[in-house]
Order: sequence, then structure tokens, then C-alpha cells
Amino acid sequence: MSRGGSFPIDLGLDPEDLVSCVHCGLCLPHCPTYRITQEEIASPRGRLMLMAEVAESGRADPVFIDAIDACVGCRGCEAACPSGVPYGHMLETTRAALVESAGYQPWWRRIGYRILEHPRLLRASSRILALVQRTRLVPSRFALPPIPLRRTRLESSPRGTVWFFTGCVMDAWMGETLAAAKRVVESTGVEVRVSGDAAPCCGALHVHAGLEAEARDLAREVMAALDGDGPVLVPSAGCGAQLKEYGHLLGTSEARAFSARVLDVHEWLVGRDIPLRVGPQPAEPPPRGRPVVAVQDPCHLRHVQHAHQAVRTVLEPFFELAELDDAGLCCGAGGAYSAAHPSEAAEIRELKLAAIDRAGGDLVASANPGCMIHLRAGGAPALHPLELVDRAQRGLL
Amino acid sequence: MAEWTDAENRALTDDLTNALGARQVRTDGLERALYGRDSSTMEAEPSLVVLPRDASEVAAAVRITTGHGRPFVARGSGTGLAGGAVPLDGAVVIATSRMNRLLEVDVTGRLAWVEPGILNLDLSHQVAAHGLHFAPDPSSQQVCSLGGNVANNSGGPHCLAYGVTSAHILAVEVVLPDGSTVMLGGVTAEPSGYDLRGLFVGSEGTLGIATRVAVRLTPNPPTVRTLLLDFDDTDDGAATVSGIIAAGLVPAALEMMDRRAVEVVEAFAHAGYPTDAEAVLLVEVDGLGPGVQEAVDRIAEVARTNSVRTVRVAADEAERQALWRGRKNAFGAVARLEPDYYLHDTVVPRAALTRVLRRVYEIADNHGLKVINVFHAGDGNLHPILSYDSRISGMTEKVHRAGREIVEASLDAGGVLSGEHGIGLEKRDYMGLMFSADDLAEQDRVRSVFDPRRLSNPDKIIPGGSRCADAGWSAGTRAGEGAWV
Repeated sequence: MSRGGSFPIDLGLDPEDLVSCVHCGLCLPHCPTYRITQEEIASPRGRLMLMAEVAESGRADPVFIDAIDACVGCRGCEAACPSGVPYGHMLETTRAALVESAGYQPWWRRIGYRILEHPRLLRASSRILALVQRTRLVPSRFALPPIPLRRTRLESSPRGTVWFFTGCVMDAWMGETLAAAKRVVESTGVEVRVSGDAAPCCGALHVHAGLEAEARDLAREVMAALDGDGPVLVPSAGCGAQLKEYGHLLGTSEARAFSARVLDVHEWLVGRDIPLRVGPQPAEPPPRGRPVVAVQDPCHLRHVQHAHQAVRTVLEPFFELAELDDAGLCCGAGGAYSAAHPSEAAEIRELKLAAIDRAGGDLVASANPGCMIHLRAGGAPALHPLELVDRAQRGLL
Repeated sequence: MAEWTDAENRALTDDLTNALGARQVRTDGLERALYGRDSSTMEAEPSLVVLPRDASEVAAAVRITTGHGRPFVARGSGTGLAGGAVPLDGAVVIATSRMNRLLEVDVTGRLAWVEPGILNLDLSHQVAAHGLHFAPDPSSQQVCSLGGNVANNSGGPHCLAYGVTSAHILAVEVVLPDGSTVMLGGVTAEPSGYDLRGLFVGSEGTLGIATRVAVRLTPNPPTVRTLLLDFDDTDDGAATVSGIIAAGLVPAALEMMDRRAVEVVEAFAHAGYPTDAEAVLLVEVDGLGPGVQEAVDRIAEVARTNSVRTVRVAADEAERQALWRGRKNAFGAVARLEPDYYLHDTVVPRAALTRVLRRVYEIADNHGLKVINVFHAGDGNLHPILSYDSRISGMTEKVHRAGREIVEASLDAGGVLSGEHGIGLEKRDYMGLMFSADDLAEQDRVRSVFDPRRLSNPDKIIPGGSRCADAGWSAGTRAGEGAWV
């Protein structure tokens, strides 16, 4: 472990927030990094004590940076916290202070975040990555999905009444998933405007990394692009949580009004007529009866948006659902976490895969692309819930 | 507080690191600070933190630590409310959190062998497929460890019908302060000889460290009904508690919360608790279907004769879980009022419940403090929580004065100091209110049999000086000094 190298820092945390933790420890079992280490320093309670310590002394050191960097940012602790400690925002503020004072985030990570902000650059890099991937030179520990050589382009309807947010990586890598989700939305009889390159990236990964200035710029860009007052539907739980937090990030009434328009796509679908069958059906129905789908709740859907029940409501007419028994414990994907901490991410994933096994089921639904990729890399048959619905509607499942 | 020299610390660190490996020994200042406190308000700094992976590493850590004349403190999840895991005298913290395996389940014998770090609720989840569970359910059950339950002889809402932890522990493998290992108790029905297992359960880490525990498993009840009763008057709630017991009913759980408790709990749990009630009872009945229904009817009847406002029976498991989620998070939720809390854990005779409760409100009022009452009404185990802000000067002292008055009021009513949280550090100095110097000296002699040098969780439970072992301290000679009364 690194020692010494202490430096002055102002964490900029609200003193009221710092004293709001009473050390009861009820967060510990809901923390994925505590679950794999059983160590206080890898727990929310431990990190909050460290924040308090550093806030008081005004000095931090590499041990502190490592501890703050090691958090997945799942916010499972927040949902479990009876005292209402705003852990997620405190983590983001602390990381932003570390970026400011300690050059937290090495150059190679910063380049990664930069690329996300520029759709053409992202597509170009993705194509290179796709080619390299086909030469099998990308180490498998990075657990990348098979990246398509060509991006799937989504048709946007200028008369559309709802916005469909496509984001950065999802747009470049998982066009088929987006296309399926869009088809399900359209099957309810609405026309859809696609956000596309005008709203390149929600900035979630930037906020999680402490790059708040960049995140604010992206927020303004996204808000300007998604004009009007129609709902903004988000098929990715991580992006949705971020768009809903623009009000907090920018602190303006305009941003709050924008955030109020944002819905996870499943939230929007609840209460609408989703046809059970769409388009020509195959001559022979699929061999099995109703498939059993295990529902994995992405953290930012369950702990931040509290919208995870909507996924079940949307899936229920099509599938038998199986519940996991792990109280929504994180799967270890954590946006950029699985790239920055691949071995820990894989260890956390083992816990999730065991829970999926216990639940049984033919398929796994995951409403966040990051989780989906991560689970697939671990061998789980994970698909976006709306990809499952799309296939069922077409008689393919 | 003992001072240890850098050279002494270095020698101890080297020996532990050589025996256990660097990953198992933590020396960094920030990291050590994290193991300096539990869920109470007291703290100290450990000289080292050891994270053993199995029983043999615990034995090695204890042997080396005490070989250096250094005390040690066992720690589980660090959720204790009485400072039992606070490391005094530069003690080494030995945290059993990594030893969290379920080793063996005997379904027909309804027992399991576990490591001490396993979490209480994880154990129940892991044996759920066999239709079994571990019955003691402290409010912190999702995170507290079995080792901690053993140390504190923990209770919980369902201990009213099922008994506290001691009734569910069959055997304990213990590393004694000299590093040797013994087995106390056994899985056979009635082990012969003295019940040393019974002595160890509740000894709060002062006799050694549990490294393997045989626990009794309880079949899951076929039918469970949970009732929420609310009242305009706290006295009516208390009278209902007495009435239920007097009627010969033994509910699985019988919990009471006052108005302020309901407010903070509802703000977290959104379970539909009536926030305008002065008192709320949460009553659970379990067993076979028809008997359960009859008990529900009779409880509702008792409540109605005591002016209950509404009788709500949880319609399904989700509603039941939501209600319990509220109750079990009550302590943490109190932080929504003020940043700090100080709570007591006294047990009073049920007949005195109303009287003591009134006195608790009076004491809080006299000191201008907020008090929240949430407690195991069925067995008279009070948990008055004083909510305050320690940053206000003089506040902590005021809270402690009020706390002492509450303890005295409980003892005056024929009660005892602690129902389930343990004495630890925080209630140690109240022991003199309950026990004579002779009583305490005798208890200390029992401890000496296991830990003659006072190195296992020093200065807990029994009041007295620190590091007395070095001076050849003997309990018998101290009894007359009256130092702790």
C-alpha cells in the first residue's frame, strides 16, 4: 500500500452531511466492495469516516485516494441507509476535489472520458477496437462485448412526440439493442425523435470520476439538443439516473425542469398498450413455453431512480419472472469501474452470477448496457428487457 | 491509556506479519482509525488491525499478541452499541469479518457449524432452502455477525417466544488468551460437566475469541400474521402489552414505538405507519394456521378493550417486510433528527413499564432533550434513545446525566442494566449501581480463570483500572477498595 505523499485538500463537503452517518453499519452488507473484502476501508461507513477525517485535517494521502477510487458508486448503501446519508453526492464531491487537488484520474482514463464526448471520434475508435478485437489482441479481462464494425443507424422522426436518448457507448456498440428498444416504444403507437450526435453523452461517467466541469458542459449540450417539453425516454439506467440529476448538477430551474421530463423507458411504458405480437410471426412458434427471465436490477435504476418495478411490469405479460435474493447487490459493472478495476469487478460478478443461478431462469434481463455487457462477459445470458420484449413480440422467444 | 514505544510496535508488527502475511496485518493510521469504534459514541485507537482468514490464524494472532504483553479485542461487524469493540490500552483489533463461512448444515439435527464472521441474516438465507432459520434476530441482523451475537448474548424482537442467543448456541470453539484452543459445550443433547458454553455466551470478548460456533436452527413457522395496533395514548399501548401477556398469549414478537419513533421510521421505510398515533404496537404471531387466527382475534380483542384506534393486519409478506424494515432500522433512522444518539437498554418488570416510561419522558423534559422510545415491550426491554448534537457545547454531558437518571429509574423499578446490547465500555461504570463490590470481584475472579492477565478485551464489563495485570493485580484484594462503586 502506498504511504506518505500527503497533500492539502478542501473536500468541499457539507458538515451536516458529514455528521449524518451514525456508524450503524447497516450499509455494509449492501456494499459490493465490502462483500468481497470484508474490510472497513472498502465499506461506505469506512469511506465516510475517512472523508470526515480528511475534511477535518485538511490533508489527504494516497491511502485515501485508493479508498475513494475503489468505490463502485452503486449507491446501494444509500438505499439501505436509515439515516439518509447522501453518500452518492458526497462521493462525487470528494472525487471532484481530488481531481482538483491531486490530479486524480490518470491521463489514460481522462482520454477515455474525452472520447465519449465526441461521437465521431468514439465511432472511429470503436471501429479500430472492433478490428483489433477480431485479431484477438484485446485482453479478455477487459470483458468487452463483440463490437460491431458498422454502427446501426436509428431513424428519427422529426414529428416525434417523445425523445429517445441514445447516449455514447450504447450508440456506438449496441445499436441493435437500441433499435429493439425503439421498436418496442414505437409499437405503442408513438413517433420517436432520436437524440443521436446532438446529445453525445449524458456525462454520468464523468461525474462518477469527479470530472464535474466536463459533466456540466455535457449536461448543457444535452439539454439544448433535447428541446421542447415532451418526455425524454432513456433505455440505459445509468444515463437515466444522470439525466434525472441534472437539476442537482447544474442547480438551475431550467435543469430541474429538464430532469422532470426524464423517464426510464420502462417507466414510460407502464400503463401503455404494448402489443403482444408485432409484424409477421414465424410459421413455427418457438419450441419452449413461456421463457423464465431472471430480473437483475441495475443499481442506478433501483437505488437511484427507484424505477426497477417498472421493468417487471413491462416484462410480465411476456415472461415468467424469477427474482434474485441478493437485495439488489451491485453486479460489479459500475460504468467505468469494470475497466479500471477488472479483477474486483469479476469477483463481485461471481456473487451476482451465484444469485442468478439460485433464481433459475433461461435468460437474464438487465436494463443497463454496462451491467448487460459485464454479465455476458461472465457467461450469463443477459439481454436488455426491451430486447426480450421485442423478440417476444416477433414470435422469436 | 498505555503507551507503547515504536520499537515495541515494530516488533509486534513484524512477528504478526511473518506469521500471517502482510495482507492480514494493517498498520496505516487512517485504516486503524476505522477499527477504533463501533456503533456507539466511544472511540480509541488500535495499535494494529489483524484480519485473520481462519481459526489457526486467530490462534497465531492471539498467541503472538499476548506474547508481546499486548491486549487484543475481537471484532465482528462493528455494530455494537455499548463500545464493546473499542480497543483500549493500544489493543490489537482482531476482526473476524473474513471468517464468514457456513461450514456444515445438519438438517435432521437442525444445527449448523459456522465461522464467527458470518452475518446473522446471511446464515438464515443460506439455510432457507431447508425450511430453517436462526431465530435470534437483532434489529441489526442484516449486518451483525454471529460472533458478535454470541459475545453479547443478543436478543431481538422474536426472542420473546424463541429465547435469546444463548438458547440457540450449542457449542463454541474458543481461542483462549494464551493462544490455545478449547471446545465449550457440544452438539449432543446434554453435555456433561459445567456449562462453560453458557458462561462464554455473553462474555463480550473478555474470555477469548470464538472461532467456530454450532448454532441451533429453527423451522420456519407455517403461518405468520403481523398486526399493527395504534393508540392515542401511550398508557393504552402499554396496557395492551400487559393485557396480551396476561391473557396467556405468547406472540413471536411484541414491539412498541412512540410517536417520535414512528415519525423517523416512517420517513425512511414508507410502510404506512400512522404518524399521528402516540404509540404503535407491532405484534407478530406464528404457528399453525387455526391457532394463529385465534391468537390474532384475541389480541385485537385485548387492544379494543384498551381503546385501540385501528387494528391493521399485514395483508401479505411484502407489507409485513415493510413494517419490519421500519422497526429494524429505527436506531439509524433517528439520525434524521440530530446527528448523535445515546441509548440505553434497560429491562424493567412489565408491570412497571408505564411508570418507567412516564419517568423517561419526564427526565428528558427536565433536561430539554428529545427522547425516542422504541422497544421490546413484550419482555420489558426499553430502548430510550436520546437524540442530540454533540457539537453543541455541554450537550454530551447533559445527555449522559439524563442517561444515568434513566438507568437509575429503571433499576429503582426493579430492572436491570442491559437486555441485549451488552455492558461493554459504555455501561461499565453503571455496574456499581447494580452489583456490590463483592459481586463484581467474584465476577472478575471467574474471568481470571480464562484471562489471568486481563489481555482479552481489557477494561470492559467490570469497572476498574487499566493494565492492572502488569502490577500483579488480583481481584480479591481490590474488592475492599470500592474503587468502582
